[in-house]
Amino acid sequence: MTSEAKSSTGPQGAARLFRYLAMPIFLGLACLALYLYVSAQQLDSIEKRILNTDFLFSRVIEHIQLAVVSTVIVVVLAVTTGILLTRPGTRRVTPVIIGLANIGQAVPSIGLLVLFAITWDFGFWPAIVALVAYSFLSILRNTMVGLQQVDRSTIEAARGMGMTKMAVLFRIELPLAVPIILAGIRTALIINVGTATLATFVDAGGLGTVIDRGIRLGRDLVLVVGSVLTGVLALSIDWLAGVAEDILRPKGL
Amino acid sequence: MTDEATKESMQTGETMIRLENLSKVFPAQDEPAVDDLSMDIYEGEIVVLVGPSGCGKTTTMKMINRLIEPSSGRIFLQGEDVTKVNSDKLRRRIGYVIQQIGLFPHMTIADNIATVPKMLGWDKERTSQRIDELLETVGMDRSYRDRYPKELSGGQRQRIGVARAMAADPPVLLMDEPFGAIDPITRDRLQDEFLRLQQEIRKTIVFVTHDIDEAIKMGDRIAILKQQSKIAQYDTPEKILTDPADDFVADFIGGGASIKRLSLSSVEDIEPADWPVARLTDGYEHVQEKMRSSEKGYVLLLDVRDRPSRWVGAEDIEHEEVSLEEAGRPAVAIVEANASLYNTLDTMITSYKGSAIVVDGEGRYQGVVDFDTVLEAINAMRPEEQTRDRAKRDVQTGNGGL
Repeated sequence: MTSEAKSSTGPQGAARLFRYLAMPIFLGLACLALYLYVSAQQLDSIEKRILNTDFLFSRVIEHIQLAVVSTVIVVVLAVTTGILLTRPGTRRVTPVIIGLANIGQAVPSIGLLVLFAITWDFGFWPAIVALVAYSFLSILRNTMVGLQQVDRSTIEAARGMGMTKMAVLFRIELPLAVPIILAGIRTALIINVGTATLATFVDAGGLGTVIDRGIRLGRDLVLVVGSVLTGVLALSIDWLAGVAEDILRPKGL
Repeated sequence: MTDEATKESMQTGETMIRLENLSKVFPAQDEPAVDDLSMDIYEGEIVVLVGPSGCGKTTTMKMINRLIEPSSGRIFLQGEDVTKVNSDKLRRRIGYVIQQIGLFPHMTIADNIATVPKMLGWDKERTSQRIDELLETVGMDRSYRDRYPKELSGGQRQRIGVARAMAADPPVLLMDEPFGAIDPITRDRLQDEFLRLQQEIRKTIVFVTHDIDEAIKMGDRIAILKQQSKIAQYDTPEKILTDPADDFVADFIGGGASIKRLSLSSVEDIEPADWPVARLTDGYEHVQEKMRSSEKGYVLLLDVRDRPSRWVGAEDIEHEEVSLEEAGRPAVAIVEANASLYNTLDTMITSYKGSAIVVDGEGRYQGVVDFDTVLEAINAMRPEEQTRDRAKRDVQTGNGGL
């Protein structure tokens, strides 16, 4: 059986390499095609103002900042909450928290963004808060499920050998929940990359700005560039998250 | 009180675990799960807690390492009152094996075994040496160190579970139906292996099972528990089988208690029959002489190294037709001295003459047992017989009148 497994690593390894490389190659080609297409066009002054590398690059950076910062914050908050809600003694508050997280996700994201902007402020941080509220549930739910699916007997054995509750959490429960938590983080990241396009409406920039201008100024080329870049960015981040998932998953599972 | 208890156990040097008036009432339950249980467990013995489902045997065991905190009562380990000490530290002194084994799937076998040594702060080298030692003890190759639990078979996982529990060499092992989830053949082998291992390591073991046959096989003493962990009988398997304390125990043992009893005694324990024996080199006349002086009708011939060789009957040696090496029938139905009476009886039933030859480890002749000798032994095990024996003894020693 072991020898079979060994002999099959060859082709499997090649298949995996292809899977890892296929997406970046495809995204690179898409960007190249877009660049060549735009270069071949006669741009008017409005289009030139938007479709130049400096402007687009700044928007991409803004977009990545929105997605990454909001995801980091939501990971810290939602994983912590998920851990707390799976401890005995928090049973009463669990439905309340889940209910709140549900509202956060159920309210349309544009509504959430505008709500924060009106009641608080425009700009980067209100957008971040909206993104966090919107993607909180997916990580919270996966953290809880991930922790709950850890085999009770594994935990009992650990406790029975004299591990403290903290040690059981950090050495047994969390490592064993990592695959499911990572899947939740990946989902949250994708949600945030997508929703960050709306951040432009609260003056937080991002690639949404490009799309919005394209629509408002009636320049289809600008609209297409904005959309394609958003798609490429979303797929790149998803690809990175997938690679991270493969690397971080504990061996032996 | 702690001092007193320490002194006491040092004096006797044998009580490893003492449970004193232990009770457990779970919240939102009227009836206690364990009610006022007291028992002593001695150093180096296997005590089996056995009883029907829900009798509280697992709860009782988990109170020893305080995975379940007792509602009242006290627990002593090596004379020390451990009812209130830090329970995490207490558990590092007590090995723990459960039915589902609970190996950590994301850790290698070596890391699994190293769990407790790491917590106790052993250095790397000592831990590593201990891992090798334990793998050898449970009969597994060192190459398993870097494997993951999912790559192991059920029996191998169980071995690692035991190795992990013994990692820091705790004096006490708690085992909760450790062989429960394993197929019968592997279970039998693991039980035998474990008993052999216990011969070397001499741990104090508390073993929980619902299977009375397993209890009889594994236990030095068995505690048969009723509901709420009330002790129905706490005694050696022999005593429980031959002299059940009440109907509950008799019912729980079930049918075939006497047959089960046979697997507890070995053939060494019974007096072999007086059987005529001669050597192949002795010659015909000597054998004929032996034959005449015995009523058995058969003489057993031994080779030069005292190993049983042939059975010869009177008719086989009437005339000197063939050499003694070829006379009669080959001596089969041989059992080793440490074979159980159960196996011996089995051998005898299928043998040609209803008798079995007992030999030592090197195959040298020790004696012959036949149905009469075994029957005598079985009779001696029967409770009425024992009572009568006791009465007789008492009369002889003058205790009867008291």
